[in-house]
Amino acid sequence: MIYNVGYLILVTALLLTVYGMVTGFLGGARRSAQLAAATENAVYAVGGLVLLAACILWYGLLTDQFQLSYVWNHSERALPTFYKFAALWGGQAGSLLFWSLILSLFSVVVAVTHRHDLQLLMPYVHAVMHASKLFFLVLLVFAANPFAQVAFVPEDGRGLNPLLQNYWMVLHPVALYLGYVGLAVPFAFAVAALLSKKLDTEWMRATRRWVLIPWMFLSVGIIMGSNWAYMELGWGGYWAWDPVENASFLPWLTATAFLHSIIIQEQRGILKVWNMVLIWLTYFLVILGTFTTRSGIIESVHSFARSEIGPYFLVFLSIVLFGFLWLLFKRLSLLKDEQSIDSYASREAAFMANNWIFTAIAFATLWGTFFPMFSEIFAGDRISVAAPFFNKVNGPLFLILFVLMGAGPLLGWRHTSVAAFRKQFTWPLVAAVVVAAGASFTTRNVYAIVGLAICAFVTATIVQEYVRGVIARRITNRESIPVAMGNLLRRNGRRYGGYLVHLGMVFIAVAVIGNEFYQETTNVTLARGEGVTIGGYELVYVELRAQEGPNRIEFATPLMVYNASNGRFLGTVEPHRNIYHKTPEMPTSEVGLRMTLAEDVYVVLNGWENMGATATFTIHINPLTAWMWIGGLVLVLGTLVAIWPHPARRLEPVPVTVSAGVGARPA
Amino acid sequence: MAELTDLQPQPAAAERAPVSRAMRIWQAVFIIVPLLFVGLLAFRLWDTNTTEHRASGLAPEFTFTTFDGETISSADLLGKGVVLNFWASWCDPCREEATLLEMTWRREKDNGIIFIGLDYLDQEPAALAYLAEFDVTYPNGPDLQSRAARRYGIKGVPETFFIAPTGEIVGTVIGPIVSQRQLDEYLDRIRP
Repeated sequence: MIYNVGYLILVTALLLTVYGMVTGFLGGARRSAQLAAATENAVYAVGGLVLLAACILWYGLLTDQFQLSYVWNHSERALPTFYKFAALWGGQAGSLLFWSLILSLFSVVVAVTHRHDLQLLMPYVHAVMHASKLFFLVLLVFAANPFAQVAFVPEDGRGLNPLLQNYWMVLHPVALYLGYVGLAVPFAFAVAALLSKKLDTEWMRATRRWVLIPWMFLSVGIIMGSNWAYMELGWGGYWAWDPVENASFLPWLTATAFLHSIIIQEQRGILKVWNMVLIWLTYFLVILGTFTTRSGIIESVHSFARSEIGPYFLVFLSIVLFGFLWLLFKRLSLLKDEQSIDSYASREAAFMANNWIFTAIAFATLWGTFFPMFSEIFAGDRISVAAPFFNKVNGPLFLILFVLMGAGPLLGWRHTSVAAFRKQFTWPLVAAVVVAAGASFTTRNVYAIVGLAICAFVTATIVQEYVRGVIARRITNRESIPVAMGNLLRRNGRRYGGYLVHLGMVFIAVAVIGNEFYQETTNVTLARGEGVTIGGYELVYVELRAQEGPNRIEFATPLMVYNASNGRFLGTVEPHRNIYHKTPEMPTSEVGLRMTLAEDVYVVLNGWENMGATATFTIHINPLTAWMWIGGLVLVLGTLVAIWPHPARRLEPVPVTVSAGVGARPA
Repeated sequence: MAELTDLQPQPAAAERAPVSRAMRIWQAVFIIVPLLFVGLLAFRLWDTNTTEHRASGLAPEFTFTTFDGETISSADLLGKGVVLNFWASWCDPCREEATLLEMTWRREKDNGIIFIGLDYLDQEPAALAYLAEFDVTYPNGPDLQSRAARRYGIKGVPETFFIAPTGEIVGTVIGPIVSQRQLDEYLDRIRP
């Protein structure tokens, strides 16, 4: 009964989004306060209804209502409560509901934040948000009803996909969805600006924050996904250029490009059309990514069950693509640039190069992702392009990008003098040369040496900027170092927060270089008490233990880790293999890990014989991997600094431009 | 698309026709490229959806050439009950059911039921040796490029589909068929 009500709630929400869409577009066109209020109220009502629907499904999951087809297929009695809660986004229909929920909540937050400003834009913004919600509600109501019931009440559910039963996997989709879905907001603002013809930089400034927040979640989601792959999939890596990974990475690339080019528009009044194109591409890639992972047109390790939603997505995708283009072409004459680029040795030129490279990486990735599909259509043969293609193409592009990341912020707007060059670049270049020389003792691989040198260069530029900023404040305001540092972050958060994000990226790059070029691997079969030496460690296999979990049997094989040169005991690692009662054909592995800042000892249990008399392991020594997760944290910290409202301007509805000549850095 | 920035008009000095030629070309590119892309996606989706007959219970189409050179298409089989078995010579569990399948085929071949074997990811000499070993006489052929396997979304080998004369899949057995009784129960559901 209550589940029929759940479905009715979704239908009502759907009708309300139609109402909100109509009143929004009309309200914007006629500048009617009444209609604007109507569309805003619809935002709140839809938010409440979708939340209610989600709560009903949660109730069904937590109380084991197996007559619900969704609960039956994605849960079971023995599933730990935490995973029952997370099963909401463990399957197709539920995750679409979850998506709608996040979209509706984003819409509510936008409405509350901009209650009193941007009044010409807001009705359109709400209307576009309603349109996006409408699409997902149409899916829920017509194609993937999460409240569909089966004719009988099954005894027990079929269980959640074992790969999803890991806490990273619970958090990773949430972060990713927050990022993915949030990118609907800047799209809505762009459409609103085009429709209302208010194309000044005001909407851009409002949008910046709405890009930064989803961008942060998307980054975190991607990193958590890597962490999950690293801990759970057990192939020793964190990124495989799988279509679904690429689907999350593509909008990240264009959104990052946008975060940079938006600064040039603010400062110099150029690249207006390009910025529109970037927002358009970003939202298009979000929808495309969702479509490809859910329609089964591209095969991937984490495809959802195939279903009927493909055609709906294709229609929505076309509307987003061509509707926006049509609008953009109609408004082209209003998007004329106010100036042009004066010199290649200027910050705007560096930013533009950065944009080209981001776009190039995005296209290479898109091409590689869809190539198997194209090749099957045209040649009848499915040719997958695997990691080597992506690494070969994107690796060098990322190196150039990192050079620009260090150099860009040191260049002046419009033009950089030779004296300024010398002042800005001496120390960073020295750092790069020193590190390159040091690195050449450890490897012969040019990529590794150049990569590490570039990382040193970027780090030095960031440190130099911080040191100069602090010294300047010490001299002019007579502040102590910690106070000066705090004020630097508080008063110019965009710039110095941005540097922190760059530092986070450097940490991630260091981890990638360490894993790519310095990893050591071995496969061994060990008898009880036997040991193996790898990369300065000795690992001794102790025994096989089996223990009963709530819905699975866990097999664990502890190994003792010793320092090979002096025999000191360092600790134990315990790789697991879990066999789930409901899906015994899909055992999952949990790696045994000893993580330090320098390197990870990473052990996968592949199998065993004679009750554990011998066991087979894959052992990796992964240098510097911890820096990937540290880099992720620094990145979040930097973004928070960059979005934090400026102390002096907190009360003003629209912040004014950051001090002239300094130039703000985004994340 | 990165070159889009090039179309930023030169400063006010440049006189502008309503829409310049270069601009029009760019607009055309921006429309045609996504159009092609969406077209390909649509085609691919349609193609995948034919695979997805399975979800709605209809057997996906397949065509294959037997090891004897005869071409068999699923369309020719309408009106008969079809037992479609995916197997491979490297697959040990397949051996458990091979004799059962062949014996039942000999019993049922005049009753409007046809057995089809599709050899999944295999090498022909090994496959022929396997067929000879179990003296298999019903039509068998390689599933080239795993097309049928992909369309049927098999979980592994052996996997057997029971297709009614109307073209509906009425039963699927993942893993070997264990007993004559199990096989007969399915056969009774696909008799014409």
